[in-house]
Amino acid sequence: MADRYSFSLTTFSPSGKLVQIEYALNAVNQGVTALGIKATNGIVLATEKKSSSPLADPSSLSKISLITPNIGMVYSGMGPDYRVLVDRARKVSHTGYKRIYNEYPPTRILVQDVARVMQEATQSGGVRPYGVSLLIAGWDEGILPEEEIEAKEGEEGKKLSGKTGGILKGGPMLYQVDPSGSYFPWKATAIGKSATTAKTFLEKRYTEGLELEDAVHIALLTLKETIEGEMNGETIEIGIVGPPADHLLGVEGVEGAVGPRFRKLTPQEIEDYLTNL
Amino acid sequence: MSSPFSINGGACVAMVGKDCVAIACDLRLGLQALTVSNNFPKIFQYGDNVFLGLTGLATDVSTVSDLFRYKVNMYRLREERQIAPRTFANLVSSSLYEKRFGPWFVSPVVAGLDPKTGQPFICGFDSIGCIDFAKDFIVSGTASEQLFGMCESLWEPGLDADQLFETISQSLLNAVDRDALSGWGAHVYIIEKDKVTKRLLKGRQD
Amino acid sequence: MPGFDFSNYNRNAALHARGVPLPKATSTGTTIVGCIYDGGVVIAADTRATSGPIVADKNCEKLHYISPNIWCAGAGTAADTEFTTAIISSQLELHSLSTGRKPRVVTCMTLLKQHLFRYQGHIGAYLVVAGVDPTGTHLFTVHAHGSTDKLPYVTMGSGSLAAMSVFETQWKSKLTQDEAVKLCADAIEAGIWNDLGSGSNVDVAIITAEKTTLKRNYIKPNERTQKLKSYAFPKGTTAVLNEKIIRKQDIGNFVTIHDLTEEGGDKMEVDT
Repeated sequence: MADRYSFSLTTFSPSGKLVQIEYALNAVNQGVTALGIKATNGIVLATEKKSSSPLADPSSLSKISLITPNIGMVYSGMGPDYRVLVDRARKVSHTGYKRIYNEYPPTRILVQDVARVMQEATQSGGVRPYGVSLLIAGWDEGILPEEEIEAKEGEEGKKLSGKTGGILKGGPMLYQVDPSGSYFPWKATAIGKSATTAKTFLEKRYTEGLELEDAVHIALLTLKETIEGEMNGETIEIGIVGPPADHLLGVEGVEGAVGPRFRKLTPQEIEDYLTNL
Repeated sequence: MSSPFSINGGACVAMVGKDCVAIACDLRLGLQALTVSNNFPKIFQYGDNVFLGLTGLATDVSTVSDLFRYKVNMYRLREERQIAPRTFANLVSSSLYEKRFGPWFVSPVVAGLDPKTGQPFICGFDSIGCIDFAKDFIVSGTASEQLFGMCESLWEPGLDADQLFETISQSLLNAVDRDALSGWGAHVYIIEKDKVTKRLLKGRQD
Repeated sequence: MPGFDFSNYNRNAALHARGVPLPKATSTGTTIVGCIYDGGVVIAADTRATSGPIVADKNCEKLHYISPNIWCAGAGTAADTEFTTAIISSQLELHSLSTGRKPRVVTCMTLLKQHLFRYQGHIGAYLVVAGVDPTGTHLFTVHAHGSTDKLPYVTMGSGSLAAMSVFETQWKSKLTQDEAVKLCADAIEAGIWNDLGSGSNVDVAIITAEKTTLKRNYIKPNERTQKLKSYAFPKGTTAVLNEKIIRKQDIGNFVTIHDLTEEGGDKMEVDT
């Protein structure tokens, strides 16, 4: 009986606004800043790992998550809501895709699936919208032949070093998903408390034809602008979509097996980037 | 009563060539010994370079071919791209296995070229979705035993498109001539990188 | 997979009741074995798939990936071994992502037996489960009805008796990796030669704490000799009644492309 009289809490105000969604966005805008930058050969996701108390153990905390071997995710907003979405994203990538096609979903398909979950929370009874915005980064294999991609780029008259993403061409893809369920593809963006400052900074620093190493560098510089605490391997989290990491595969001799492209940088690797900053 | 796989009759075969693949089927539709139609093709196209051959119970051949047309159309709309042969083969496999305890009486064959690499791809399935990946040829239908014999002897690696056409055609025609339930003409598709050639073959009408 | 679809079940059962035989599923016939050694575990399989007396696939893969450190050899109904291992692999991957730990062999074995027991033997998967995890090296067999065994060396499938005879005469408790691989390969070969349901080649997987090495077609004792004469027909052998060529570039003739103007574009999204 409970579900029969369970109404959606998200209802239109007379002016045509869904205030619950705006409140959810407010929650996001109070969250710790997270950013993503797309390079020609990969993507970087970065955020600050902020703990409320010096007594907290930061090594157990993780804000950037692997969804599929080629797709990773970071958030700004409410941590508990994010973890629910990570579980849902992982699950739907198997039940809705891998168990049917025996391959992982392309980034856009996964983004749409996650966006649908978030949209449904704005229109269903008895639930509230998710208090998070997400940055989803992934690498798509694409289906166009390599020479056709080169020919296409030749036509447009601008020579780009490598793929720039897309379900046909393949390559890196970076999306933002909001509590309303809307999603946007980006070259570089930021979400959370200092999103505006960070985006202004990124607009100045971003260039076409960026390489992954430069993108990591820019990501750290952008974080530096907005960060409140100290910057070190323990307080910064970085995830990258890069070349296939075959050493993480754990198997040898399997035909066609390719290592995961998404991985999180270790505190030591982050420290190394920071010293070279 | 006879097996649902041999009520209507029919045969299908796919072969790999050099940078090309071929898929062929007979055209008979029968009801046991009575031939009802000599124009019942068993090959269906699901993309520029993706073909599916279906033999078995004719009602299931029609239903399953339509089911995959629906599923592939939905895939194309959702993903804004054509389905690749290997992806399609896995879709066929999981769709058949979903009906593990009430299967479609069909023996599918998939043939196509990988859109990215241009490599030939063929595979066959049993009625509950077990994939048989083959590097040479796949056979199915009531003439499958005859086809196995023909293909094992006639097929060789590295056939070009014209040679492949003759090899697959002769394999099919001579196999169905020794199967009372198959024959009555044939369709042969030769799939190359930038063109598909469909030929109608003359076959015995008895 | 949320579950099976029984929508054709009644139709097929009615046909079966009228004397229509059930469809022939591809069976792996099969010899599969596994053997623990000091430092890891080896599993091996032949590569023949049969459909009744017909050899359906001369070089199929019976060693199934579960996770990098857990592999399965499958006998019985080929589709069942393929999908049962795939679904458990998927479940274990999700489990390992959410726990942040490497999957364990016992977990895999338990998921498999619970899945198979639920279907009361109707899912005809007979499996050898092997792997190395943080708790050690493990080797199990799982039967279609859900029973399991834990042994230092195991065989399954129609060639299990031939393979077991090799283990029972040559197995010893201290084996090196090379000895274990040789023993498993010999056991499979016994199946290939003496069991009609098994044939073709030997596949081997060596699982250690560091990595898994798959040796696909480790031994190929049944290679076909090359034909001495070509049977390729001269062009024009086959009588063609009708020919239609569809070229990729011609497809454009059937498609018209309209560029959408800015104003005519998508106005669906309402940004607040």
